[in-house]
Amino acid sequence: MIAAFLETAAPRGANVVLVLEMAMGIGLLLGAWLARKGRFRQHAWCQSTIVLLNFAVVAVMMVPSFRVHVLPRIPAKLGKAYYALATTHGALGTVTELAGLYILLSAGTKVLPEKLRITKYKVWMRSVLALWWVVLLLGMATYTRWYVPHLFRK
Amino acid sequence: MRRSVFIAGLAAALVMGMGIFGTGRKGSVTRAQQNTSTMEVKIDNFSFGPVALTVPVGTTVTWTNRDDIPHNTVSTDDPKIFKSKVLDTDEKFSFTFNKPGTYPYFCSIHPKMTGKIIVQ
Repeated sequence: MIAAFLETAAPRGANVVLVLEMAMGIGLLLGAWLARKGRFRQHAWCQSTIVLLNFAVVAVMMVPSFRVHVLPRIPAKLGKAYYALATTHGALGTVTELAGLYILLSAGTKVLPEKLRITKYKVWMRSVLALWWVVLLLGMATYTRWYVPHLFRK
Repeated sequence: MRRSVFIAGLAAALVMGMGIFGTGRKGSVTRAQQNTSTMEVKIDNFSFGPVALTVPVGTTVTWTNRDDIPHNTVSTDDPKIFKSKVLDTDEKFSFTFNKPGTYPYFCSIHPKMTGKIIVQ
C-alpha cells in the first residue's frame, strides 16, 4: 500500500484521509458483526466513534478541499469526471453522515423528542451502512481520478 | 509598346519592393517576438515543462494548464513570492520576475509536481 501511495501524486493529507476512511469502512462492518453477535454495547461504541471521527475528518480535511477545488467550478464543470465524482461523493457523503448522526442521537441519547426517534433501527442502520460503503467507493474513485496519473494519462 | 514595357517594369519593381519590405517586416516581427519578455511553462501530464526555465530579469512567465485536471503553481519560498488560483484546463497564470535568483515552485494539489524559474 505504501508503494502504491508513492506512485500517486497525492499530498500526504489525502493519503491519510484515504487510509482513515478505508479503516472506518471496515470498522463499521466489524461493528455490524458485533450487533449480530448480540454485543450491543461494543457495537454502539464502535459505530458512534466512527461516525464522530468521520465527522471530524470531513470538517477538517474534506470540506476545505471541496471549497477550494470544486465549489467554485460547479455547476459549470459538472460534466467533467474530476468535479462530478467529487460532487456526488460530497452530496451523498453529507446525507450519509447526517443519517449516521441521526441514528447516533436517536439510539444513543435522549436529545431528540420521542416522536423524532427511530423505531425501525435495523432498516436505518443497514441502509446507512450500505450508503456509507457506496460513499467510500465514490471517495476512492475520486482519489484515483485526482491523484493517480497513470490510470488516465494519454 | 514602350508604355506597356514601362508599366510592366513598374509592376515588377513594386512586386520586388513589396517582397523586400515584406521580408523586412517579417524579420522585425521575429525579432520583436524574440525580444518580448514572456515565457511559457506548460502544465501537462502531472508535470511542469520545462521543469527548469532560465529567463532574464523582467521576464513574465505564464503557466498554462494543458492537463485535463486542475493544477496550480505556488512558490516554495517563505513568504510565498507567487501563488496562482486553481487553474482548470487551458487557464493561465502569469508572474513577472524582477529580481535575479532561483525560484522553486510546486503544485499544492499534487506536491510531487515541482519546477523552478532561474532568473539571471
